[in-house]
Amino acid sequence: MVQLFGVTKRYSHFQLQPVDLTLAPGMVMGLIGPNGAGKSTVMRIMMGLVNPDSGSARVLGHSMSSNVSLVKQEIGYFSDDLRLYNGESLGWHMDLVRSMYPTWDPEYAQELLTKFGLLDRQRIKGLSHGQRVKAMLLLIFARRPKLLILDEPTNGLDPVAKQEVLAELMQVMNQEDRSIIYSSHQTQDVEQISDWLTFIDRGRVIASDNRDDFLECWRRIKLRAPDSWKLPAIPGLQQDSQLQNFRVMTIDRYDETIAKRLVESGAELEAVEPMTLEEIFVGVVSRGRQAEAR
Amino acid sequence: MNSNVVRILFLKDLYLSRHFLFGYLAGAMASAILTCLPYKPVSDIGFLLMITVTIATGIHMIGLLMLGDGIEHTRAFVLSMPVSVLDYSVSKIAVVLCTFLIPWSLMLGVAMMGSYLLPYAKPGVVVVLPAIFCFMLSCFTIQLVSAVVTDSIGWTIVVMVAGNVGLNLFLMNFNSDPAIVAAAKSDTVTWPALAIQVLAIEWLVIIGSVVLAFYLQTRKRDLV
Repeated sequence: MVQLFGVTKRYSHFQLQPVDLTLAPGMVMGLIGPNGAGKSTVMRIMMGLVNPDSGSARVLGHSMSSNVSLVKQEIGYFSDDLRLYNGESLGWHMDLVRSMYPTWDPEYAQELLTKFGLLDRQRIKGLSHGQRVKAMLLLIFARRPKLLILDEPTNGLDPVAKQEVLAELMQVMNQEDRSIIYSSHQTQDVEQISDWLTFIDRGRVIASDNRDDFLECWRRIKLRAPDSWKLPAIPGLQQDSQLQNFRVMTIDRYDETIAKRLVESGAELEAVEPMTLEEIFVGVVSRGRQAEAR
Repeated sequence: MNSNVVRILFLKDLYLSRHFLFGYLAGAMASAILTCLPYKPVSDIGFLLMITVTIATGIHMIGLLMLGDGIEHTRAFVLSMPVSVLDYSVSKIAVVLCTFLIPWSLMLGVAMMGSYLLPYAKPGVVVVLPAIFCFMLSCFTIQLVSAVVTDSIGWTIVVMVAGNVGLNLFLMNFNSDPAIVAAAKSDTVTWPALAIQVLAIEWLVIIGSVVLAFYLQTRKRDLV
């Protein structure tokens, strides 16, 4: 569905390191990274809005360097910095988009208008931020794209609007075999809808894996150990903090044998806790930055 | 290039600029009619208004249609649709030229017809008007190039100011040339060599600038 091979992009203040990324049909990929990590640049390259300096981008089987307008017929793109025409109504925008897309579904557009509580005669400048996001998503969903590229769609939304947007997004995912790439720094949203996660930091993809594998492999271990205790070799130990004889460790390759090994080494295990995606995200970013510093 | 997409984008921009375009058309019509009146101070005011309307239309339409998408962040919305850089560039340059040329042609046409047909007017003025109007058109196309290159309203205004200074110098020199003065006062239309040379240079600049604007716009790697 989407394949990026060694894609790079240099700006005066930022450089995207060679990015290799594959999004399979039907997959929902969450692209997670801090602000300025390069998420939007990657998505703009996928969308053909930005040309990479090197590498290649293939989307829906076509090269983005030569078939951009053909491919864009099948893509729905949302970005936080994308704006509609303030002086015009939502209905005018719907007519404009409909004229460009033979796949426009007027009945679904009407359904979304009702669902999102929007009126087609409303001018864009009179809409709240949440309503603007919903209007934009309506214009995207009603074209029934095969691929959705959503760059921080829930940014700045209140909790109710965010849930409405996410609920509709999940419904869209269930309707057809549609692929979605969804970026955010709000890990709860990404966790809710993604089945594949890619972490990006400082222009570099630092990890990319199945969401469940991430959640399964990362653990926080709390234990007590005597002063004389020596930490055994543990694969994937990311962090180890100590207060007197109480220790907290984070591990990114957890399995049952690790707990066993710790107990056998003389430690008293207090808890093995799963970590939230946000904690994993922070852990992955710290690990990447430490590796970069070395 | 997808001509249907270009047509949709062209009509969209024409629609977005409709209120201003009607305003400039009204101003163009009023100033052209004033220019044709038989009272010297009034016709002089009309002529000054024509120049003002032309300059204002040019800078406004470039700002609204060429640079507006970048300033208002609507360019990403347009380019998120099945639009190539070529489609976008052709539609933008075409619509900016069109919105400028509609009032420009109206003023030139009315002023030329008035000079030629009205009993109290001197038909020889017909020789002077195209050179002045084409000078303003060439200034506009250079502004278009600067807008494409810099994507900045500030730099485009700097070019506009330079163009206005150039227009004043041009008017002073061109209108004081003996051959032009004689042709303008004549009861028949005779084209002096200088007027033809000036027109040729102006059209060279106009065509060159439009081609350059188009070339530079389509060569841009990233529009967002």
